[in-house]
Amino acid sequence: MRTEALALNDVTIDLRQQRILESIHLDVEPGSFTCLLGPSGCGKTTLLRAIAGFTPLSRGDIRLGSKSIAHLPPEKRQTAMVFQSYALWPHMSVGDNLGYPLKLRGISRAERQQRVAKILARLELSGFENRAVTQLSGGQRQRVALGRALIIDPPLLLLDEPLSNLDAAIRRNLRGELRRLQKSLGITTIMVTHDQEEALQMADQIVLMRAGEIVQVASPQHLYHHPADIAAARFLGVDNTVSCEEHDPPSARGATKFGFRTQDAVINMPLNAAALTRKGRVTDCLYTGNGYQVSLSTDGEELCATTASPIALGTFATLQVPESALISFGPDDRHMPPLDRHEDIA
Amino acid sequence: MTTLSSRTYPPIAARKPFIQSALGTLLVLPALTAIALLYALPLARSLVTAFRDSNGAWTTEHIARAFSLYGRDILFSIGVVSASLALITVISIAIAGYLVLGTTPWAVRMLRWLYRWPLFIPFVVSGQLARSFLSTNGMMNGVLVETGLLTAANAQSFLDWRGLVLTFAWKQIPFVTLLLAGAMAAIDRSHIEAARNMGAGRLRCLFNILLPQAAPTLWVGLILSLVAMLSVLSVPLMLIAGNPTMMTSMMAHRITYYGDYGIANALGLFSYALTAFTAWVYLRLTLRREATA
Ligand SMILES: Nc1ncnc2c1ncn2[C@@H]1O[C@H](COP(=O)(O)OP(=O)(O)OP(=O)(O)O)[C@@H](O)[C@H]1O
Ligand SMILES: [Mg+2]
Repeated sequence: MRTEALALNDVTIDLRQQRILESIHLDVEPGSFTCLLGPSGCGKTTLLRAIAGFTPLSRGDIRLGSKSIAHLPPEKRQTAMVFQSYALWPHMSVGDNLGYPLKLRGISRAERQQRVAKILARLELSGFENRAVTQLSGGQRQRVALGRALIIDPPLLLLDEPLSNLDAAIRRNLRGELRRLQKSLGITTIMVTHDQEEALQMADQIVLMRAGEIVQVASPQHLYHHPADIAAARFLGVDNTVSCEEHDPPSARGATKFGFRTQDAVINMPLNAAALTRKGRVTDCLYTGNGYQVSLSTDGEELCATTASPIALGTFATLQVPESALISFGPDDRHMPPLDRHEDIA
Repeated sequence: MTTLSSRTYPPIAARKPFIQSALGTLLVLPALTAIALLYALPLARSLVTAFRDSNGAWTTEHIARAFSLYGRDILFSIGVVSASLALITVISIAIAGYLVLGTTPWAVRMLRWLYRWPLFIPFVVSGQLARSFLSTNGMMNGVLVETGLLTAANAQSFLDWRGLVLTFAWKQIPFVTLLLAGAMAAIDRSHIEAARNMGAGRLRCLFNILLPQAAPTLWVGLILSLVAMLSVLSVPLMLIAGNPTMMTSMMAHRITYYGDYGIANALGLFSYALTAFTAWVYLRLTLRREATA
């Protein structure tokens, strides 16, 4: 089946008289990888389930390719979903699990076996046909669930936190594997995650959600450097904010706050005129593996920075952040593009 | 360090098994005694009685006579019980399936509330209800004649094997449905959603995903229903006037009119054999499932 574009228009969902999603507009390019990113309870799973047909819309439309699928039951939508719990059927072997979607489409036994063997080889699980799914490791289950979704060549692949049940090492491996597989199949994919690192590494496009609304749709690079507002920035690891002062590096007109990431701030380095500088008392110094994380108490603000060697508590230190690592925000906490670059573009 | 710790901390488990097994025995003992005295002993005695003549010598005469006198009743019982079980299976799967997969909330809620009522009605009362409902001048024919679907002259009594099957099914369907719907509701919803997502309609979900996983519970319900149907006396006595009838009726007849425990026990033996056979089938199925899982 050809891979298709997905378009959500004014998608609104109420569950038990409660508004869960409010007027969601989203366009997904055919063959692209989109991540739905957001804090717990913001409605990511609900949106994915709405696309698959498990949650009815109160308003709006969902189009796959040229046709609307909003009024079709789940079994007619041809979307393939991988559930967070994998939802492998325990009374069927690995081969039967993978072959069931084909069986539903009336494909002969011989061809089923052939296609199951092919997809198992692709997932590096050759010879697992007769294994019970209860006897698989977490990573193997994840791959079988993925194979079951992919075996019908769906136009759209939906993944609900497919990696969150796995431990960190397997997770990093599978990220790359999943992304490669998606690229080689060229299948339009939407993945839910609450892990910003995962989203940044895998996505072509990230949809940042909060409290049932879309906050920002952007490429990983753009999102990382230009989060829409302070809350979005915090979610993307911008853990420090400072109020602007006179001698600070030039920022956008009207900016009142800077945000920066702890990893970009340094302590007691030779002073640089073009950097943001703050002095303060050291209140904490934690070992982080590749250095130390230092907390500084400047007047009224608690800031963090990194350093290679430990610093005694209570001493005064100078924190610096290079201009390129600063993100400016206006009085309404919304992001403001830096002055010079903004003018370049204009 | 390991040698040190193994020396200072002697094996922890040394005393525990004894205390635990003593406690276990103590807890099991009352139940075990009750089973031995109230169930196993009478069972053994009735089995022995089935093979003894009046002088206490071993004989197979009771079995042979039970067959020649009541062979038709035995077949009748097997037929009625099989038909009831088939009806129970079909309807309880339909109800339980609708309770789990139904999409009309008010219909599901109403069905959930309604289907359990017969559970709380004893067999005797069911028999009485069936009599007044199914007889020639009963309510069912009354309604059919009233609505013009049947002429009064053609009205016939259902108080035969059909009445038995309907009454047994009516009484046991809620019980089996209760077990089955519980087992189906316990299955993770994502299993159903995954199947629908792959293109399975609701009927296929029921037969390919839900039922295979809930089948062991269905078997338990059917076997318990079989035991109940083979042991109930009131319903066949109330519904069936002549011959052939259920084995329980004949056993009661043999005992109350002839004081003939030999043949009554021989008939009982067939009931045991029938339930034991189904239990064996069930065990084989579950064991095979566990072996492959
Ligand atoms: N069946 C339901 N009925 C009513 N409210 C629901 C239902 N399912 C989810 N919600 C509510 O909808 C909101 C969004 O839930 P959702 O599962 O989409 O969040 P999520 O973004 O996937 O979170 P997480 O990252 O924790 O999985 C939550 O506030 C939740 O309480
Ligand atoms: Mg979720």
